[in-house]
Amino acid sequence: MVKRREEEWQRYYAAWPLKRPVMAKVVSDYFVRLHSHNFAWIHSLHYGVLRAHLYFRPTAPAHSTHHSAVSHLSLAVPSSATTMYQAGYHQNTAPPDMAQLQATMRSIELACSSIQMHANPAAAEATILSLNQSPQPYQACQFILENSELANARFLAAGAIRDAAIREWSFLETDYKKSLIRFCWLFIMKHAGSHEGYVQAKVASVAAQLLKRGWLDFTAADKEAIFLEVKQAVTGSQIVDVQYMGINFLESLVSEFSPSTSTAMGLPREFHEQCRTSLELDYIKEFYCWAQDAALNVSHRIIGSDSAIPEAKVCSAALRLMLQILNWDFKGKKNAVESSKRGLDVYCGDIKPESNFLGRSECILVQPGSLWRDVLISSGQVGWILNLYGALRQKFSCEGYWLDCPLAVSARKLIVQFCSITGTIFPSDGGYMQRQSLVQLLSGIIQWIEPPNAVLKAIECGRSESELLDGCRALMSMAAVSTPLVFDQLLKSLRPYGTLTLLSVLMSEVIKCLMENLSEEETWSWVARDILLDTWTALLTLDSSGHNDLLPPEGISAAANLFAIIVESELKAASASAFSDDNEYDYLHASVSAMDERLSSYALIARVASGATIPFLTTLFSERITRLHQGRGTTDPTETLEELYSLLLIAGHVLADEGQGEIPLVPKDIQAQFTDVVDADKHPVVILSGSIIRFAEQSLDPEMRTSFFSPRLMEAVIWFLARWSSTYLMPPEENKGNKSGENNNDAQVRLEHSKNALLSFFGEYNQGKLVLDIIIRISLTTLVSYPGEKDLQGLTCYQLLHGLVRRKNVISHLVSLDSWRDLANVFANERGLFSLNAAHQRSLAETLALSASGMKTSEASNQYIKSLTNHMTANLAELSCKNDLKHIAQQPDILLLVSCLLERLRGVASASEPRTQKAIYEMGFTVMNPILIFIEAYKHESVVVYLLLKFVVDWVDGQIIYLEARETAAAVDFCTRLLQLYSSHNIGKISVSLSNSLLSEADTERYKDLRALLQLLANLCSKDLVDFASESLEAYGVSISQVVFMGLHIVTPLITLELLKYPKLCHSYFSLLSHMLEIYPEVVAQLNVEAFGHIAETLDFGLHHQDGEVVDLCLRALKALASYHYKEKGMGKVGLGSHATISKDPGGKVQEGVLSRFLCSLLQLLLFEDYSTDLVSSAADALFPLILCEQNVYQNLVNELIERQTNQMFRLRLTNALQSLTNSNNLSTTLDRVNFQRFRKNLHSFLIEVRGFLRTL
Amino acid sequence: MSDEEHHFESKADAGASKTYPQQAGTIRKNGYIVIKGRPCKVVEVSTSKTGKHGHAKCHFIAIDIFTAKKLEDIVPSSHNCDVPHVNRTDYQLIDISEDGFVSLLTENGNTKDDLRLPTDDSLLTQIKDGFAEGKDLVVSVMSAMGEEQICGLKDIGPK
Repeated sequence: MVKRREEEWQRYYAAWPLKRPVMAKVVSDYFVRLHSHNFAWIHSLHYGVLRAHLYFRPTAPAHSTHHSAVSHLSLAVPSSATTMYQAGYHQNTAPPDMAQLQATMRSIELACSSIQMHANPAAAEATILSLNQSPQPYQACQFILENSELANARFLAAGAIRDAAIREWSFLETDYKKSLIRFCWLFIMKHAGSHEGYVQAKVASVAAQLLKRGWLDFTAADKEAIFLEVKQAVTGSQIVDVQYMGINFLESLVSEFSPSTSTAMGLPREFHEQCRTSLELDYIKEFYCWAQDAALNVSHRIIGSDSAIPEAKVCSAALRLMLQILNWDFKGKKNAVESSKRGLDVYCGDIKPESNFLGRSECILVQPGSLWRDVLISSGQVGWILNLYGALRQKFSCEGYWLDCPLAVSARKLIVQFCSITGTIFPSDGGYMQRQSLVQLLSGIIQWIEPPNAVLKAIECGRSESELLDGCRALMSMAAVSTPLVFDQLLKSLRPYGTLTLLSVLMSEVIKCLMENLSEEETWSWVARDILLDTWTALLTLDSSGHNDLLPPEGISAAANLFAIIVESELKAASASAFSDDNEYDYLHASVSAMDERLSSYALIARVASGATIPFLTTLFSERITRLHQGRGTTDPTETLEELYSLLLIAGHVLADEGQGEIPLVPKDIQAQFTDVVDADKHPVVILSGSIIRFAEQSLDPEMRTSFFSPRLMEAVIWFLARWSSTYLMPPEENKGNKSGENNNDAQVRLEHSKNALLSFFGEYNQGKLVLDIIIRISLTTLVSYPGEKDLQGLTCYQLLHGLVRRKNVISHLVSLDSWRDLANVFANERGLFSLNAAHQRSLAETLALSASGMKTSEASNQYIKSLTNHMTANLAELSCKNDLKHIAQQPDILLLVSCLLERLRGVASASEPRTQKAIYEMGFTVMNPILIFIEAYKHESVVVYLLLKFVVDWVDGQIIYLEARETAAAVDFCTRLLQLYSSHNIGKISVSLSNSLLSEADTERYKDLRALLQLLANLCSKDLVDFASESLEAYGVSISQVVFMGLHIVTPLITLELLKYPKLCHSYFSLLSHMLEIYPEVVAQLNVEAFGHIAETLDFGLHHQDGEVVDLCLRALKALASYHYKEKGMGKVGLGSHATISKDPGGKVQEGVLSRFLCSLLQLLLFEDYSTDLVSSAADALFPLILCEQNVYQNLVNELIERQTNQMFRLRLTNALQSLTNSNNLSTTLDRVNFQRFRKNLHSFLIEVRGFLRTL
Repeated sequence: MSDEEHHFESKADAGASKTYPQQAGTIRKNGYIVIKGRPCKVVEVSTSKTGKHGHAKCHFIAIDIFTAKKLEDIVPSSHNCDVPHVNRTDYQLIDISEDGFVSLLTENGNTKDDLRLPTDDSLLTQIKDGFAEGKDLVVSVMSAMGEEQICGLKDIGPK
């Protein structure tokens, strides 16, 4: 048989006459290198017959053994090989068996082609997988790489080398590791010209990964040796392909070492971090220089030649590598001296030192540090790359080069990247050198974008837009590294106008383009607009130092012009879209929230020129209103309404910032202008706000409302009022400037004066109350007079009203207003607002209850809450007492009434504050009995059941920590009864429906119920953590922990495995459980067998859950249980008692103790199963006390594990590793912090040591 | 669809079969609604507008609670819809007859013999098997607009 194979091999070899010498050379080359000490295996080399031992084991799964590929493979492995394999661990010592390498190669090739043809892919995958997972497949893989004609097979072989080497790294010999890397390197060099580039790229990346894996082990000399060859290839070689591959290798190396793009190797994060630092310190600059040399060397040839030459490929690869290196996240040695020097340098303010600006378009600041100065700045790099690109631009008409050819693209990208270089790389010369460099860059870039109208015309006629877009990006990068003044100056040396003017003109042109092509599917103008908008944002947002220079006057007028064009285009777009009906629904929602981002950038532009732009907005607004009134009854107002809608949004953004939960201040830019305004009522901001509020007030008139105030316009009005009022309405006193005036500077005083005038105009003692009253009346109108307009009412409830009651100085006035009392009265006592959406009713109830803290005394607040809720609780109580409740409960009108009332009570409950706590407790106490009655009456109406549960959850959440012991006892008793009732209704219940979607709805409802119940238990738990009661709970015989455990016992049977698939439910269940076990292990010990068994089973289930967080929770619970048991035992107590020794499974069979069971399954998990490395630490914390508790069991397990290991060498390693797991690092048997830490370390190294071979065998 | 339209069915007692008017905007997912004369459970509600500056409409997708057929309706959200009175009653199961009818024990001690076994296979086998094993079974019967159907099952036997 062997004979026949040899013949085949010779035939095969002969069929490749050209490759023959190369092949013989290669084969001998690396085999000789690998086995230089053992020549015995070389058998008549001139026949090309090599005997190689096959380390490749067929491990195809049983179910696919019938497949031909696999059976072929099994045949290919002679019994001797199998026995050799079983005999153990032969590293590079056995002679390679040519025939077997052949066979392996063919089986892999077969698998590859059958996957491609989709013939029995499972079996083919198994074959390929078995190559990856077999121990030491290197020779086979190398053989395939060298010999296979099938590119896919070579690709897979490279991957297999990587997988195996990473897995077996810890027990490969150092020389062998190096030889693997060398093999890969030689391979890519030798096959640099191959057409299947992806194979070379893969091999290069394998080499890079292996090099990284060994980075900390290899000596500097080892690395030098490797990089010497790389350098030779990249810079010294005259062969284009070799240079190209060398650069390619460096590219994969850099991306491997960069944390964001590195491949996982199952090693701790520190490893990656160390590699990163080491590369940055020692090599990355050299790499950059090599790439630069390579590019320089070929660039003159490219410039000199009239048509495309192959060197262009090298040049663009080199530029790409340079770009990649400049993208590196330089940490550098943060030189303290240097940075403090910069801090002293007064001129440094000119250049933003480290901006935390993060635009939507990506713009990464490049801060390589001062070490790079010679390479990037002093060497005239900028001039060279600009020249290169300039020369390329001339050639775009030639064949082979065009605007988007790879070389042009990478050159432009590099130029853009050069624009964002900043930081200590520039000397502290007041930013002079950086400015010089930016000016130089701008002189090149300006040709891409100027003159804007001509450039845009050309693009509309079909020219590629990429140069324009890159030009815009370059402007953005420059904006990110400089202040507005510096930015504006840059162009002054080249042109009679500044950069801001150019930016403004360019963006105006882009927006005009957008306006003309509103409907067209041209995306470039959108992209250009967004980048330019980000440029403005980068210029105008305050940097970290908080100060921002004003723009020069020329810049301000440029901004004003631009804003006028922007508003014009927005209004045009608005009126054009007024009648469009397509995806109206999406637009409606997108309008207020998603447009936000763009509008806030517009607002930045408007604010720097607010002297012009705010009066401009006022004019536009009054024009539209006049038009509306003039056309009343005669023309269709829709277009004007849509324009007003847009104007309201724009005005809102310009005047005020989004609070995001805080009280926003008047924007700085607006404060800083208008210093000459003396009378508050002539202040442009006051005029604009006033005209909008007066317009809004007109909506109170029913006639005006029906003719003009469409729901959509009203949405904008409410949105504006919400946003505006949080900044300008009754601003807190402390926002006003210091009147004492530390700076007696005249301008400063005038500034303070105009600011205070603006702030006090709508203040508490001026127009504030009047405006507040108007706002409340408008809100009531939207709630009552716009039936069914959910979005509008949502805005009113959540944004406007809720925003108002959050502010202390507003609510004290609010509660004294008649309009607010009207609102409360309508809500509490009339049925009108039942027609609101349920969630809105809840929010309104919460808002009204929150306003109670505006009352002067606590009595008044509680009285207010009582009057608000009395009617509602009485209503519920009365209903629950009705004799025919069972019959009427399910009538739709009663159903609606009950759910509305419950939603409202829930809203009030979630507004619990110390001041109103008493009244809210009483409210809940009054409805306790009704709730239990309703739970019974509505047991089939899951919607109501859910509301009931949620009310109780929120009420307990708000109340529990304040309750006195007696009240707590009542609440806890109530909760227990609720749980029992719920469980008795639902356990063993099967609902059916013909409809699948109704069934899954029923599942979802049950899931929501259970989640609410778990929340309830968790809320009860908090009583043990925070408690404001004056006496202790024990006096009333209440133990929170026992109650919660009982609750868990009631709830657990309702939770099915099916329901645990809902991640939220699963998380809250396991976090509650592990919390209980951690805090109250002693209560667990007292549980009965059934309850304990339940918990143990649950933990076991959770331990094997796929969600890492759940596993982590279970591990924490296990740690707590085992530690408790161990400590108690140490003190001579029983600990977990019988649970630890014997436990019964549900079938009643006696099982081993729970701790030893968990010890077993945890070890099994750690050694043989898949898990995230993040879990190792918490697993160590659980394993350590478990081992201490069950030392005998552990010893038995360990012995068994060692017994099972047949391979002598592995057995020895395993024994040693197990030994040091429990003995190294001075581990002792006390459970303290230090020991836990030691054990964690031990377990980490133990797993790295043994998991590699335990998992494969 | 007029706002004040009520349906009275002659078969069962009036109280149980009424429908009630309710504003469309207040009908939520998982609530009930009458579409094309059928009692349905709402599985999806979405709102849209008639033109940009028009009023909101509700778009209901609902499932007939008896036949599981999917029905849809669009109603201006300020208008009223009919909401059926859906009642569910528990009865203890006494007997299953040969011809597919069940015999149920009512609250006042009478029997109710006019309900067929459900067509749903899983419920059917569970009822039959459970009954054969001698378990105490309670069935829930859902009724609305004059129709009745067994919709659920619960074992209340000794644990």
